Amino acid sequence: MRIPVSALVLAVAVWPAGCGFHPPLPETVPRPSEVLNFGTLYQQNCSACHGRDGSDGPAIDLANPEYEALIDDATLRKWIAVGMPETQMPAFAQSNGGMLTDAQVNAIVAGMRRAWSRPNAFSGAVPPPYAQTTGGDAQRGAKTYQERCAICHANSRQQIASPAYLALVGDQSLRSFIIAGSPDIGQPDWHHDSQDGNAAAPLSAQEVNNVIAYLASQRSAAANVSGNSPSPAAVDK
Amino acid sequence: MPGIKQTAVSVYAWLERRLQLEGPVKDAALHKVPRNTASWWYVFGSAAFTLFFLQIVTGIFLALIYVPSGGEAWNSLMVLNHQVPLGWFVRALHGWGSNFMVAVVLIHMAQVFLFGAYKFPRELTWIFGVFLLLLTLAMAFTGQVMRFDQDSYWGLAIGAMIVSRVPWIGGGLVHLLLGGPIISGATLSRFFTFHVFIVPGLLLFFASLHVWMVLKLGVNEWPMPGRIVRRSTYIDEYNQLAHQDGIPFVPGAFWKDLAFSGAVLAAVAVCALVFGPNGPNGVPDPSIIQTVPKPDFFFLWIYAILAYLPPQLETPFMLIAPLVAIAILLALPFYASEGEKSWHRRPVAVLAVSLIAVAWGTLTQLGTTTPWSPHMEAWSGDTLPVNLVRAATPLVRQGANVFQEKQCRNCHSIGGHGGQRGPALDDVATRMTLDQLRFKVVTGGGNMPAYGKNLSPAEIEALVSFLHTLHPANEPPAVNPASEGISTTHASGGEETPAKAGAKR
Repeated sequence: MRIPVSALVLAVAVWPAGCGFHPPLPETVPRPSEVLNFGTLYQQNCSACHGRDGSDGPAIDLANPEYEALIDDATLRKWIAVGMPETQMPAFAQSNGGMLTDAQVNAIVAGMRRAWSRPNAFSGAVPPPYAQTTGGDAQRGAKTYQERCAICHANSRQQIASPAYLALVGDQSLRSFIIAGSPDIGQPDWHHDSQDGNAAAPLSAQEVNNVIAYLASQRSAAANVSGNSPSPAAVDK
Repeated sequence: MPGIKQTAVSVYAWLERRLQLEGPVKDAALHKVPRNTASWWYVFGSAAFTLFFLQIVTGIFLALIYVPSGGEAWNSLMVLNHQVPLGWFVRALHGWGSNFMVAVVLIHMAQVFLFGAYKFPRELTWIFGVFLLLLTLAMAFTGQVMRFDQDSYWGLAIGAMIVSRVPWIGGGLVHLLLGGPIISGATLSRFFTFHVFIVPGLLLFFASLHVWMVLKLGVNEWPMPGRIVRRSTYIDEYNQLAHQDGIPFVPGAFWKDLAFSGAVLAAVAVCALVFGPNGPNGVPDPSIIQTVPKPDFFFLWIYAILAYLPPQLETPFMLIAPLVAIAILLALPFYASEGEKSWHRRPVAVLAVSLIAVAWGTLTQLGTTTPWSPHMEAWSGDTLPVNLVRAATPLVRQGANVFQEKQCRNCHSIGGHGGQRGPALDDVATRMTLDQLRFKVVTGGGNMPAYGKNLSPAEIEALVSFLHTLHPANEPPAVNPASEGISTTHASGGEETPAKAGAKR
């Protein structure tokens, strides 16, 4: 008779159930609008462009403490909520057609700060301001570019003076790159001018303005030549 | 002791005098069945019956806690999962019991079909079996509705939409099904009634008749090639088999039924323990659009078929195919009530079962992976392979941003992540030149929309530059020397593009 065998199997199978054994119980699934966990929000909304842990994505390195120190909460919140003009950064707030509530945008900002901000990120140095306050001189910028940037960017693989590239990267975005750098791709900050990190004279705020003006002139010159409007601002998004 | 035994015997005698069950039960238990039916192939029907009783018992426990109201059902499932001691286990038993029951009923049906057991005189047994299959599926569907979550809600919505396509009376049928024009508070009460009273009542009724007929008509003998079923001679031949070379049903054949049923119950318990209960996933709120609802496994094949059907075929298929299928199943014992039972002499039957099994498996696999469906969160959630990003030029990085931001990833995977609606792009550069990529992006083609009007020239340039980097390390990208120089010069206004630079390298 094999009946007792199967009964035994059943008993052995059921026995742990009474002893506090728990299988992988499905977790409570919150409403998408109630998710406030930074890890989840970042993974679902940001990681595709900014990389799994804030770095190594095609968009700017968010895990860079200098970038975190450079940009204030209000601005960061604005870029997330309404998108960043002249870049590929889309709007995420529900008020702008995205999927995130204001609380979720705030949770992302707070989570970014917790995860990636470091005290004294600039090591006591004072960087140029995040937002450009005065105009720049394109001609001087061209000179600075040749002296300070072309060391790397003359190389075709690092070419940034192409109109297609400049059309997709707004002035503010270029500015953030120049000032805070992007450690994941080896782009130094405004303080350094060589790939090995040897400090030279940092770029002054005016020099940064000038380089931005020069790059902007390259962008508009190309637009005039081609007859196209390469600025994404003019494109129906 | 003798006193107790005497009392027990007299109580039994008192009951038996009134109930008079001993005779019929003995007849049923000891009736002779052909020796070769005491086979492990004959255990699926009793296992299905056992599972049905497991469902009744666990269902009663669940009904003690479950609240069949639109507002409370989901919460009561959470209470069962997390607060009621062993509530999760009862839910898991009920859920896995349901999966096993559908599977065992289908296996039972295939076995009965291949053994020719639907032939004379068991036509009605088969017909009631078809009813039992439909009722089991109805239990599975209404049970899925009881697990009132996102999948359940949208499964119900799709069910209602299918019903609404019935000409003339569709609206009325939906009203009847949902208790109103939309899924509302009345809907769950209605489905609770279907799931707990109506369908199980019918199941019990038809299952009892089904078993009654098995007892009365005898267990189908093991089919032998060449032993032809004829109305005029079958009964005598069967009786001869059963009585001359028969064994009593209990215990001769019954112990295998018991053992298998026990094993199936044990398997259900192990699955319940190891895998736990199914859901519930998110709250059933239609305003939540970040959801990818899917039916439970027994309906995934329908889900796949409906996804692949051209729109103009949907309504005819949904309304006619089930009727045709049921009509074929019901007509089968009349069309083939005599003749060969053995699968050795019924190649069409074997082929039909094989074909259905392969088709079912394939469609279920497709329903699991849903390659037709874009992954709506891939554009913002699926990262690109790090080595790809690190090696990228500034323009290519912007192209990768365009690729993500324009949601190309929702349909095209890279590195195994992303949608499968379009082809994977890991080696697209080996298949298409820069010009071909640009043309494809701008004009679309096949199932791909044209993006020419949604992308600026710079975005297109960046995007195709990125796509042109997608090739294995040991396989160079496709290059068209005749047009490469012209197009890159035009696009970049004389500047050297990464692609052009790459071609030089």
